[in-house]
Amino acid sequence: MEHFKYVGKSVPRVDANVKVTGEARYTVDIAFPNMLWGKLLRSPLAHARILHIDTSKAEKLPGVKAVITGKDTPFTYGVTHMDQKPLHMNKVRHVGDAIAAVAAVDEETAQEAVELIKVDYEELPAVFHPLDAMLPGAPVIHEGVEGNVAARPSYENGDVEKAFAESDYVFEDTFETPPIAHVCPEPHVCVAKWDHSGKLTFYVSSQMPSLARTHFANFLKMPESRIRVITNYVGGAFGSKTLSRFPIEFASVILSRKTGRPVKFQHTREEEFHYSTLQFRFVITVKTGINKDGIITGRHFKAICECGGYVSHGASITSVAGALQGVLYRYKNYKYDGYAVYTNVPYGGAWRGLGNPPVHFAGEAQLNMIAAEIGVDPLELRLTNATHAGDTSATGALVRSCGLSKCLEKVAEEIGWKEKRTNPRPNHGLGIACGVHFTGIRLPTMPDTDFAEAKIMVNDDGSVNLTTSCVDLGQGSNTVLTQIAAEVLGIDMDRINTIYGDTETCPMEWGTRASRVTAIGGMAVKKASENARDQILRAAGEKLEINPDDLELKDNKVLVKGNPSIHMSISEVARFNRYRENGQAIMATNHWDAPSHGNISSAFSFGAKAIEVEVDPGTGRTKVLRVVVANDLGRAINPAGACGQIEGGVHMGLGMASTEEIMLNEKGGMANNQFLDYRVLTPLDMPPITPILVETNDPVGAFGAKGIGEMALIGTPDAFVSAVHAAAGVWIRKLPVTPEKVLLAMKAKK
Amino acid sequence: MKHQIKLNVNGDDYELFVDPWRTLNEVLREDLNLTGTKLGCAVGDCGACTVLIDGKSVSSCLTLAVAVDGKSITTVEGLAPSGETLHPIQAAFIEKGAIQCGFCTAGMEMSALHLLKKNPSPTELEIREGLSGHLCRCTGYNQIVEAIADASGKLRVDGGEGVKR
Repeated sequence: MEHFKYVGKSVPRVDANVKVTGEARYTVDIAFPNMLWGKLLRSPLAHARILHIDTSKAEKLPGVKAVITGKDTPFTYGVTHMDQKPLHMNKVRHVGDAIAAVAAVDEETAQEAVELIKVDYEELPAVFHPLDAMLPGAPVIHEGVEGNVAARPSYENGDVEKAFAESDYVFEDTFETPPIAHVCPEPHVCVAKWDHSGKLTFYVSSQMPSLARTHFANFLKMPESRIRVITNYVGGAFGSKTLSRFPIEFASVILSRKTGRPVKFQHTREEEFHYSTLQFRFVITVKTGINKDGIITGRHFKAICECGGYVSHGASITSVAGALQGVLYRYKNYKYDGYAVYTNVPYGGAWRGLGNPPVHFAGEAQLNMIAAEIGVDPLELRLTNATHAGDTSATGALVRSCGLSKCLEKVAEEIGWKEKRTNPRPNHGLGIACGVHFTGIRLPTMPDTDFAEAKIMVNDDGSVNLTTSCVDLGQGSNTVLTQIAAEVLGIDMDRINTIYGDTETCPMEWGTRASRVTAIGGMAVKKASENARDQILRAAGEKLEINPDDLELKDNKVLVKGNPSIHMSISEVARFNRYRENGQAIMATNHWDAPSHGNISSAFSFGAKAIEVEVDPGTGRTKVLRVVVANDLGRAINPAGACGQIEGGVHMGLGMASTEEIMLNEKGGMANNQFLDYRVLTPLDMPPITPILVETNDPVGAFGAKGIGEMALIGTPDAFVSAVHAAAGVWIRKLPVTPEKVLLAMKAKK
Repeated sequence: MKHQIKLNVNGDDYELFVDPWRTLNEVLREDLNLTGTKLGCAVGDCGACTVLIDGKSVSSCLTLAVAVDGKSITTVEGLAPSGETLHPIQAAFIEKGAIQCGFCTAGMEMSALHLLKKNPSPTELEIREGLSGHLCRCTGYNQIVEAIADASGKLRVDGGEGVKR
């Protein structure tokens, strides 16, 4: 392996000091002396026509500076389907749909004013489950969309029906995963501030500040140069702060323009639970043909995704999950039918894994059911069918690097798969699952690109300002990108200032999402750094009268290869280059578009999980004793950071498996919107986790890296339900696996 | 009607006029601009707003400012012994990779400080119990538990000397 100084080292986070001292300022911490607070009026009904809106009383309340309705926000938006409006004038489609917004001198006054707005509704029949919404005669949620199916993404390769007819066994099972929340510690929040030159500064907790600028430039018909979007430190995002615009964002921008004062909106925790987009409910039926030798002959997934009141990411997620499922195994015959369905529940969005965790759950849990049924080791079953490097998937994806089999073997070895299954302890069980996820994403429904940009500026003292298009959401991207620049430039990390999240200073970005930052954002940084390095070497070569090919950068100096006694500091080179006649700055930019044309992604990360569970037969309570995770991440640029992603991914995955579920009452309103009712796992719930990093040196990622943030989670519920089966003898097909479900299933079995 | 209160925050005395319904969290963040203390849920479930009042960890979102008149408050901004040093708890959080987004970090550190003052040699379970009022969505907690165990060792050895940044 090559010798690196920074790449592959667990250096501490570059933002660690400001985070442990409380100095790091998040968007929630932004305030201005004359700032107004905004609040939304949200619909109390799940489906209704709006007959009349009367804001007169609210406008008269002392302290209220402006009230707006849909008349003031004549915009339509969406991810693939332009079916959303910031404030609704004619119809609401879920509890919480926004109707009006108020700006007032403080939060309490704004809330009081919202309560004074009178809306007359004509209530319409509503539907709260996708299977009900697809029935004939179901309420029509969007005019013209009969049956409420907004999109039907599908894949087909080979002939699954023929394969089933010729298989030794055919199995068919249905699974369901509920809506779940992102639970960002920092809720969705924004501050809009217009100045009297007509410039808009917009502070927003976002994964895509550039896109916010593009959107608002389009909506407001103003030059992008007059809009500055700033994303400070972000208190968690998990997909919820990606493509979507939120009603609070439109409301703050329009109210600030109207009042001439900064306006802040911030979701309450209750709003955050239900209206910051959800992981969609999925109902998935899997039909699998398999032969006695364990070879899968064909597989058919029917995945019904409940979009909620608006499509949002529903269509793209339903599509992506089908494409990815086809990459996991060497399917000779594969069919995927996706249905993105409207209902009257709060709409979903991108949630860590983009629909892949639910669809994997169905596929992997069923594979374990099949293994138990036909008496095959689930580990062997996976190894028999696993995808390998060089394969092209049934869904047309080229897999350039693949550590799937290695991940499976590693977790099995570490957890003691063979021994523990041979000598099982009572009420204890092991489960295994594996998965695949993309590194960056290219979808037919979106512009055909998967790019990142970076800019390097070398200062006179030889230090470097790196501006990046990627946002550090807490995952540690600033640290990893600084490591990459330091490695290429031969400069100490503490001499590099990595700047992000300001559209006025940073290059354009395509989003901190899709597990793409280390590999694709990292490549833009690497290529910009290489360009700057070459400029430094050329300038030094001129000064030293030595061929630049004979020079190298190391320890903040330009050295002559093989003769380190001749050297120049980078500062000397930078100053020489700038202040000579016809001087130049040492500065480089890069736009890197990942080579995924015609493919869903340029690279795929793989992983496996093994989980040991104990089930109390008296109560149905489950206790996770240990989780072992192996992730093929191409190359670990920062192993400690990668392991942190695994620990956090497993935490969310175990929550999805065992406790997390957004519940609605019979009228479609929130039933659980605080932490006491929506159970995020606590420090007392977490088992020991053993992360194993598998490196496959991907040919297209920066230094061979692939993504990890989402793959870290995928497979956790799948392995968990399988471990519960091994311990208690029951299959739970509907998440979360609560003690009640386990106990009832155990009783039903007796 | 506003009430006049006196607070000592991180060693500095403040005289403030506050509405009786305002929480300590609001006063710290909005009036004193000490935004290191976060607000996560506003109902005392998540621990992000934890501060010390006379040395005890308390949810500042559930504490009315008028109820702590005359008390000493320690926030995360008062944790580091100086501008050039970090508290051993802070240093351990960095070293053990216990931070991701950082939003829950201040509250975790304040509870850790309270815990280690009360129990200088906690077991792993006692640390987890000490943090059980805190939620983190990024880390899965294990590195945070390790960091506090590590800090407890260092505090026992050197009694809380600062660690150079």
